Amino acid sequence: MKKRWFSVLYMFVLTLVCTGLLTGIQEVNGQRIEVNRQARENRVILSVLLIPVPADADNARAAEIYAQRVREVRLGGKTVYQGLGKDGTSILGWAFPLSGPGFWGAIQAMMGVSPDLETVLGVEFYDQNETPGLGGRITEAWFTDQFAGKRLIPDAKGRFFYLVSSPEKDLENQVDAITGASQTSIRVQELMNDSIREYLDLLRNAAPPGASPSLGA
Amino acid sequence: MADTSRQIFTKGLWSDNPVLRQILGICSALAVTNLLVNTLIMGLGLIFVTAMSNVTVSALRNITPARIRMMVQVLIIATYVIVVDVLLKAYLPDISRALGPYVGLIITNCIIMGRAEGFARQNPVWPAFVDGLANGLGYTLVLLAVAFVRELLGFGTLFGFPVMPAGFTAWTIMVMPPAAFFVLAVLLWTANTWWPKKA
Repeated sequence: MKKRWFSVLYMFVLTLVCTGLLTGIQEVNGQRIEVNRQARENRVILSVLLIPVPADADNARAAEIYAQRVREVRLGGKTVYQGLGKDGTSILGWAFPLSGPGFWGAIQAMMGVSPDLETVLGVEFYDQNETPGLGGRITEAWFTDQFAGKRLIPDAKGRFFYLVSSPEKDLENQVDAITGASQTSIRVQELMNDSIREYLDLLRNAAPPGASPSLGA
Repeated sequence: MADTSRQIFTKGLWSDNPVLRQILGICSALAVTNLLVNTLIMGLGLIFVTAMSNVTVSALRNITPARIRMMVQVLIIATYVIVVDVLLKAYLPDISRALGPYVGLIITNCIIMGRAEGFARQNPVWPAFVDGLANGLGYTLVLLAVAFVRELLGFGTLFGFPVMPAGFTAWTIMVMPPAAFFVLAVLLWTANTWWPKKA
């Protein structure tokens, strides 16, 4: 009996020490981790809104540009990002997140669209766990560059984009898929179409077509 | 007679190498070995965790009740792995992103628990530390060898630098998990044929 109580007490104390240690380390580094995460997201948003950040800019400089050129707007419980011109008033476009399950884990991306919500400015996939060299190639420029300049017009099936093995140049909705990564391609297609539809609805409802979207002011 | 530090070290690194001789830690050997950089960081993480958990398990060996020793070992191992994870996120965010969930999975690497159970709980702190270090190194070296082949043929690069001539066609299969089976199998075969383990 005594032995059993010692075991329980021993485990309790050891767990307390371990969790204490981890809490301490997390406490010391938590802010740094959050800064890293934020800095990464800021750069992605600037990039899809085509707002240039000098290649040698450190995180502080990027944050400064972000503060000047991006305004965060809450719409229906979601955050969208409004890209502003150098003067700080003209609107360059909107950015919103694309997210959903991939083949191995969740995929996070960001898309920038023109102020009239009709043309894609840029796309970047920034958080994914797809197979390196296969599905992981969604982060590469050759893949993401395909979306830039495309018109956001759904086809008969309501898809903005679909991935095929050899796209025809004049078909606005077709995008070159990744060879050897069919599963990732299928899921990317799904998450993009779902998220684009959701956020375009949000933005259109907030700013009816024709009117210049000037919300958040 | 107890082994000297040098003997312990040689055993972990080569004659009892966890991957080549004991076929442990295979899951992560398949998962992370398509890029040398990821492999190296994973290896360093494993060396740290194996050495430190060995030290801790050994230091507590005389007071840890035998019936709960495995719970204690897992708790200690998990603690060190989370330390590695937090430090990577804070100081090497790019690598942390590339390794994704694999860092957390160090906890389930059988080498660490194997050394804690098979060595650290019956030996003093210093030999336990040497043993953990050597086994971690042994694991890392084998994985780097596998990653060398896979990255070279799968991407045409080494540590991200292109080394293959222009026009080289990357072997897609090398990037996928099955290739790790082939490469690892050839390594195992070679090691155990040319340098058989002494009985």
